[in-house]
Amino acid sequence: MKTKLEQDDSVQEFQGFFKPAEVPALQQWKDFFYNKEEGKVMGRTGSSWGKIILFYIIFYSALAALFSIMLWVFYQTLDPRIPKWQTDGSLIGTNPGLGFRPMPPFANVESTLITYRGTDAENYRFWKDSLVEFLKVYRKPGLTPGRGQNIYNCDYDRPPGKGQVCDVDVKNWSPCTSENNFNYHKSAPCVFLKLNKIYGWVPEFYNDTNNLPPMMPRDLKRHIWEVGRNNTLKLNTVWVSCEGENPADVENVGPIRYIPDLRGFPGYFYPYENSEGYLSPIMAIHFEKPRTGILIQIECKAWARNIRHDRRDKLGSVHFELMID
Amino acid sequence: MRNHFFAVLRFLLSSSLLLQHGRSDSYRVATVPSIPDDNKTFDGSAKSRRKNPKAKRKGDDLDDLKQELDIDFHKITPEELYQRFQTSPDRGLSHAKAKENLERDGPNALTPPKTTPEWVKFCKQLFGGFALLLWIGAILCFIAYSIQASTVEEPADDNLYLGVVLSAVVIVTGCFSYYQEAKSSAIMESFKSMVPQLYLGIVLSVVVMVTGTFSYWQEAKSGSIMDSFKSLVPQFATVIREGEKVTVRAEDLVLGDVVEVKFGDRIPADIRIIESRGFKVDNSSLTGESEPQSRSTEFTHENPLETKNLAFFSTNAVEGTAKGIVISCGDHTVMGRIAGLASGLDTGETPIAKEIHHFIHLITGVAVFLGVSFFVIAFILGYHWLDAVIFLIGIIVANVPEGLLATVTVCLTLTAKRMASKNCLVKNLEAVETLGSTSTICSDKTGTLTQNRMTVAHMWFDNQIIEADTTEDQSGVQYDRTSPGFKALSRIAALCNRAEFKGGQENVPILKKEVAGDASEAALLKCMELALGDVMTLRKKNKKVCEIPFNSTNKYQVSIHETDDPNDPRHLSVMKGAPERILDRCSTIFIGGKEKVLDEEMKEAFNNAYLELGGLGERVLGFCDLMLPSDKYPIGFKFDCDEVNFPISGMRFVGLMSMIDPPRAAVPDAVAKCRSAGIKVIMVTGDHPITAKAIAKSVGIISEGNETVEDIAQRLNIPVSEVNPREAKAAVVHGTELRDLDSSHLDDILRHHTEIVFARTSPQQKLIIVEGCQRMGAIVAVTGDGVNDSPALKKADIGVAMGIAGSDVSKQAADMILLDDNFASIVTGVEEGRLIFDNLKKSIAYTLTSNIPEISPFLAFILLDIPLPLGTVTILCIDLGTDMVPAISLAYEEAESDIMKRQPRNPFTDKLVNESGLLVRSPHQMPAISLAYEAPESDIMKRQPRDPYSDKLVNHRLISMAYGQIGMIQAAAGFFVYFVIMAENGFLPVKLFGIRKQWDSKAINDLTDSYGQEWTYRDRKALEFTCHTAFFVSIVIVQWADLIVCKTRRNSLIHQGMRNWALNFGLVFETALAAFLSYTPGMDKGLRMYPLKFVWWLPALPFTLSIFVYDEVRRFYLRRYPGGWLEQETYY
Repeated sequence: MKTKLEQDDSVQEFQGFFKPAEVPALQQWKDFFYNKEEGKVMGRTGSSWGKIILFYIIFYSALAALFSIMLWVFYQTLDPRIPKWQTDGSLIGTNPGLGFRPMPPFANVESTLITYRGTDAENYRFWKDSLVEFLKVYRKPGLTPGRGQNIYNCDYDRPPGKGQVCDVDVKNWSPCTSENNFNYHKSAPCVFLKLNKIYGWVPEFYNDTNNLPPMMPRDLKRHIWEVGRNNTLKLNTVWVSCEGENPADVENVGPIRYIPDLRGFPGYFYPYENSEGYLSPIMAIHFEKPRTGILIQIECKAWARNIRHDRRDKLGSVHFELMID
Repeated sequence: MRNHFFAVLRFLLSSSLLLQHGRSDSYRVATVPSIPDDNKTFDGSAKSRRKNPKAKRKGDDLDDLKQELDIDFHKITPEELYQRFQTSPDRGLSHAKAKENLERDGPNALTPPKTTPEWVKFCKQLFGGFALLLWIGAILCFIAYSIQASTVEEPADDNLYLGVVLSAVVIVTGCFSYYQEAKSSAIMESFKSMVPQLYLGIVLSVVVMVTGTFSYWQEAKSGSIMDSFKSLVPQFATVIREGEKVTVRAEDLVLGDVVEVKFGDRIPADIRIIESRGFKVDNSSLTGESEPQSRSTEFTHENPLETKNLAFFSTNAVEGTAKGIVISCGDHTVMGRIAGLASGLDTGETPIAKEIHHFIHLITGVAVFLGVSFFVIAFILGYHWLDAVIFLIGIIVANVPEGLLATVTVCLTLTAKRMASKNCLVKNLEAVETLGSTSTICSDKTGTLTQNRMTVAHMWFDNQIIEADTTEDQSGVQYDRTSPGFKALSRIAALCNRAEFKGGQENVPILKKEVAGDASEAALLKCMELALGDVMTLRKKNKKVCEIPFNSTNKYQVSIHETDDPNDPRHLSVMKGAPERILDRCSTIFIGGKEKVLDEEMKEAFNNAYLELGGLGERVLGFCDLMLPSDKYPIGFKFDCDEVNFPISGMRFVGLMSMIDPPRAAVPDAVAKCRSAGIKVIMVTGDHPITAKAIAKSVGIISEGNETVEDIAQRLNIPVSEVNPREAKAAVVHGTELRDLDSSHLDDILRHHTEIVFARTSPQQKLIIVEGCQRMGAIVAVTGDGVNDSPALKKADIGVAMGIAGSDVSKQAADMILLDDNFASIVTGVEEGRLIFDNLKKSIAYTLTSNIPEISPFLAFILLDIPLPLGTVTILCIDLGTDMVPAISLAYEEAESDIMKRQPRNPFTDKLVNESGLLVRSPHQMPAISLAYEAPESDIMKRQPRDPYSDKLVNHRLISMAYGQIGMIQAAAGFFVYFVIMAENGFLPVKLFGIRKQWDSKAINDLTDSYGQEWTYRDRKALEFTCHTAFFVSIVIVQWADLIVCKTRRNSLIHQGMRNWALNFGLVFETALAAFLSYTPGMDKGLRMYPLKFVWWLPALPFTLSIFVYDEVRRFYLRRYPGGWLEQETYY
């Protein structure tokens, strides 16, 4: 665009810049997309496009290569079974939460509401199926990685050895069995609970019956005293309590039965060390007579000395709603 | 009759079209304008844009004001004048008539132009540019929040964290507002809530408001020109009405009033003089001529500005008294027209503002395109519309470089401060850069190029011309002060002189002392003080007994003195004046200590000397003396000045002295620098062509060897009309010629002559010249000091006023003020302006680069369904936090030596020291030598000015570099760190894809990672925010390299060095800030920034290194293959 009068001087002096000719906007657009005179498409000629595309292909390939090499090098520092950072070193921390099953469908991922009509088998089919799916590995040990070869029948006095995993027997959890439709058809459903696995986390049990936290529900305290009277070893359990969240919910939820009646997760399952075929301990909550036609908010808590509770952040607890028509 | 006249006058002022019809009657009130209105403004397009008739009228008014003043009041006889105004010189107007006139014409005052209300200006700042985009973001935030608030009943405890972010934003913006010395308006203090959308909305609003407020303050600081004009208007006037002298307020004056003015008064309106006693006015504010001019009743010139019988509104009466008839009032006066022009002119955008708008359009385009397309994509992918809106917000926030406009402002401010320390005071911040883009400078002569101090330049005695020293420090040539010729001449010059030094200046150097008296006499006084010592003592010794002062009819001045020789009873008569008049009164001439008869030969010698000195543009005075015989005029003789009872002819001619306002010492060098920087320097002056040309030659505006058409004609001895104008590089254009030129002729002159001097120009013509240059596509700087320069100053892309000599009006109209009145300071301005343009490019390149690592996480989040790698808050932390100081520090970057732009050396012919360079000092070879072998230094002044049409601040190459290349590497670094942290905590990359919904669902309290661990919502959010922090930190780390590579656009870092300590500080600062944000307790609540393990700072480092290496290699190729493909595609 610069116009320079031919001059002998080595110094070029300003002669004026010519304004580009004014072209109507539409024509400008047309010219931008395809300029016949200069053979330009989108402002560039074919060879110009070729060169710039080639340049960027090379550039991005190099960048992708750099990225891949870096990632590969990084992978060499990782162990496939042991997380690099654990418990407090990792962001997962040492305060596990609880999980519940069945969960609402994926399309409703933000929801924690279990709702169905007990009179309609099709209606609760989803909940039943998802529980069947969840319990499959517990019922058929062969489905787990390692095909259940290292399954060990643990007990409080027989903790698993290295590389061994404990068995969770869910077959005799009547009425919370698949054969019984987990009791959904009777409008007294079972909900399964599990404690979040945290690699290397060891619970500090409430195993001193004289020293239970004041916040602990009274019925759980009574249960712990009872267990303690029979077998002090069994006190090494992560206790679980479920309640209605609000006074109204407490009333609506009715009696709750914990299955198995240990009412917690046995301590021998911990710590979780990503052993092949490890099964998380689970338990079922049987709502024996929840009020129908109303939304009931339920909160379950896991109890160990190193589990703090926070309702909002769902620390050491889980929240779900039940609504049975 | 009278009414008809006023109708015509009004037509003349309101419409150039009507003007032609109105000119029919005998008054010849108006003539056809010499330059027909081609209905085009300077850029040839503006008028067609006018839509409503109101605007059109305003435009026509302005065009009319641009026409020369065309009146005949000075030509007609006084009687006709009285008749026309129905007034009489003795009785004045009747009160009734005066009242009638006042009601008809309005007060004699300048009407201020319509101003935009303050709130409109403020709103413009608030809703212009990126602000609009950010407002949209903010509004979307509020909408999203309110919907969420009404649907989700989630208690929010983000209050604390909101406060922290807001304080951070307020502090950052506040700091820099403080820098601007602008008080930021009160910002909402208390916020009680809530979810990120709301708080983001508030942050965005605050950012927008603070930036807007602050730009508003910037603009509000520049006051109105009209106010400064008003200070010129006198308060009261003495007027004769119904035969009585009354004092009225100046604004109550009406046409036809008879006013009396005396020395010290301001002229209250444009008046035609009908009586005058030694009346002199100072017209400097109108014409730029600093010398008082006598005013009398005679009509001496066609041009109203030059004729002696008119005195103009707001000029000062410096001597004598006069009586005059008011011929025009208020806005219709000459000054009123200038004021109207100056305040009415639309100056348009500064070049940098255009560049910034272009850049904003570009970025906004990208933001809107990306935002909308991802909004649509999100819909197609089945996202909830609220999510899509939140994506839109994210993309907008990531795309808009929030801190950039502030950065640009701060960069400009820093440069403005630096320039102020070099005597360039910048009034309008954007003008900082304008000077750098300037391709033409129209410079006033007096005071800018010259010292504004008459100085004796040459003397002629003993039949030879002696050069006097005119330099500011008296370091120049000395001459023989003992010859009898000089003694005689100096005695006359010292004695026949009424000028005196003002008191209390004992310690001031002689040349700088202030003098009471006119400029020529002051020059003589100073010259004599330097040559003889104490002139006052000399005058005391030679007591003055009689004096005839200078007047315009005699054109000489005589005084008679007793001599300092006590034994000599004779009186000495000394005379000075116009050389030819003096010569006429002489019969002998004093040469070589002997008195000779003044024969033809001597007269010839005198004439040659006179012509030669006159040809130099100098004002020449002749000097003669005579010893009066003591028998006729003994001591105590009563000399009578009025009767002249002593001889004033038959005198002894002694010599000539010539004076000029000499150029400033630094100007020729400065002009040469402008030249080598490709800037055309045009002289526009009110002075006479000969003087103008002489000064132009001496400062290099007309370079040696270049001729004007007239010079060629003279050399070839052919008529001017036969010379091909294209052969002449130089041109001296007289104001009267300019009057008759139409714009295409003016364009021809401007385009085909490289060295132009405009002389005797009127304020309107200055404006026309500026417009002509702008029509050529030039960016024009105008320097000036007078009120008459103000329209041109206003119209110019950058008006430069003089700090010492400049009038208030010119300072108001200007964008920049030279505090030392020295043209050479402009060169500094040009250099700084070019530097800041380069540095702004670098700064923008730096800032824009981080946009890619800011946008890409969002895109990945939407397209790959991974947990969000970088949050909006962290984006704001980058844009408004860590990126700010480094981006600003680039303003401190030294100029790059563009070594590759120089011609390569031919090793066979171009030796370091060669014969031709030493012997033949041809102008063509010297620069080549100095260019090629200088130690690398700033070549910023050796290149062409920026082409405003093609050299953009932000071009596609810059975008391609920042977005396509460096930004991509940065994004890779960010993602790498993200994957590292995710994997080290348990989520291997493969696991992340498609996990987004579960990840972001509060309902899922047990999300499984690659190691079978189950994560609660809170823990995985902590992990996510840690990733945000790490992504943020890694952007800071890759920005280290970006900052370093942005230091230079072509040179290697090795060449440029790391001497920019502001930048080094910036590196440390951004790192420290990142560490602060990451590690300060409470940041996890406030900004959701989590402490990082030290090792997480490291994964970005290889990418940092890659950026540095890549760009060094790229720049190596740029230098190696100048003009090559890589340069075309990546050199921004």
